[in-house]
Amino acid sequence: MSKIQDVKELVETGKSKMIGLAVQEALDAGGQPAEILQAMVDSMSVVGDKFSAGDIFVPEMLIAAKAMSKGVDVIRPLMAGDTSASLGTCVIGTVAGDLHDIGKNLVSMMIESAGFTMVDLGVDVPAARFVEAAKENEKVTLIACSGLLTTTMPALKEAVQTIKASGLTGCKVIVGGAPVTPEFAAEIGADGYAADAGSAAVKAKELVR
Amino acid sequence: MNQRENFFAMIEGKKPEFIPNIMEVYKICIGGADRADQPTIGGVDVFGVNWILTKEGEMPEPNKFMFEDIADWKDYVKFPDVDTLGIEEAAKMELAGVNRDEVIINVYSPSGLFERLAAFMGFENTLCSLVEDPDSCREFFEAFADYKIACMNRFIDAYQPDVITYLDDLATANGLFMSPKVYREVIKPAHRRIIEAVTSRGVVFCQHTCGKCGKIVEDYVEMGAKIWSSAQISNDLEAIMEKYQGQLIVEGGWDSSGPASYIGASTEEVVAETIRCARQYGKYGNFILFPTLLNENGNSLFVGDSRLGPMIGAWHQVDKL
Repeated sequence: MSKIQDVKELVETGKSKMIGLAVQEALDAGGQPAEILQAMVDSMSVVGDKFSAGDIFVPEMLIAAKAMSKGVDVIRPLMAGDTSASLGTCVIGTVAGDLHDIGKNLVSMMIESAGFTMVDLGVDVPAARFVEAAKENEKVTLIACSGLLTTTMPALKEAVQTIKASGLTGCKVIVGGAPVTPEFAAEIGADGYAADAGSAAVKAKELVR
Repeated sequence: MNQRENFFAMIEGKKPEFIPNIMEVYKICIGGADRADQPTIGGVDVFGVNWILTKEGEMPEPNKFMFEDIADWKDYVKFPDVDTLGIEEAAKMELAGVNRDEVIINVYSPSGLFERLAAFMGFENTLCSLVEDPDSCREFFEAFADYKIACMNRFIDAYQPDVITYLDDLATANGLFMSPKVYREVIKPAHRRIIEAVTSRGVVFCQHTCGKCGKIVEDYVEMGAKIWSSAQISNDLEAIMEKYQGQLIVEGGWDSSGPASYIGASTEEVVAETIRCARQYGKYGNFILFPTLLNENGNSLFVGDSRLGPMIGAWHQVDKL
């Protein structure tokens, strides 16, 4: 079995304590950093699909993301300046008036695992802040807005409409959260909607390609 | 039958005379929890966790954790002396003027095992710990169950309640946070002790879990819960009511993510949702309506709302049984 296959399995099973050594062994065996990174991204895609299908639960998805992060730590110094595998930057936050960060954090981990650089604005983010962050950071291809409360759905609408009216080009807007439906997402002008963290990563990739 | 008699007929598995709603059947008491679990107006609790008050309730201050490794919990968690919490004083204040012959005294006990650990170490850390270090989690849950049981006993002595509602949210709208297996192996043993501490004293145990948690409702029933609260429509409520006839009351039914729960929902939308609940669930008999209605000031049930009157009126007008 190849060393890269070992890395894939360790990501899928969330073995964060063993992944560093496995990645190093894959490198020592001649694996290229980009190839190893892609293997881990592919593994996280499998994890996301299993989560969306209900085959695994949040803890298993979290430990897989944690393992991938540890693996990326090993290859990051070797990939400095190489952005070929990057899908760009994703600005993410929970909209104004909403302090919930659980769903947003899960989505952030999964989108990062799909190959994005994340800029996390935290919770209670005013609409204009999403636009500022998109302008402040390089190669922003995606803005992700989260809202858990029915009471903050108007803030989600305001965020999307502010982003759309800002003149930003080259970035798409994805929304999600417990009360959000595909119909609501379309109604407020979002480019995409995802029902959970696994499908958010899939949708994110689809939107920027 | 009055509300009280009708409620106990339901608990005994008999056919009620009418289907209640939580606004009329309960006197909900939160003063004990305010002192033992989480302050109702926000602020630092007895464990040192800072709670932020939002329109929908309280939550631990985001990204402020007491510890990150569950193996370290004993270094940080100091259990308060239940004698010093002032639960008796809270009970006297809350029960003043309450007619026990008419209503059900329902004492809330928020911050269950899972929620409390998440309040200490954050949600992601808690969920990872459940699968990465289940032994330390179990050790924490058993110790925290001891504290909860001491509080429950004090609640029972002070309030003489009919029901204790224990709140622990274990699910999202899509499913359980953790697998049923992880729940059963890591959380359930301590959860069982809490339930048995309440039921062994003759008090009805109500389990509050939001979200799609249908896969472990059988566990709740098996452990002795008689009510499952905030039962949301992401679950197959009708199948659950049918399956547990005479064993479990389903309290909820409201589409808490739907238009009737949006800020600015019209009275007509609220009434329409009330009527849907009455017609769809009332016929099973083991149902109590628990609406989720919000306005600019917060939860309508606590802050008041002009739509509540028409809602209750509509509820009474529908022939449910």
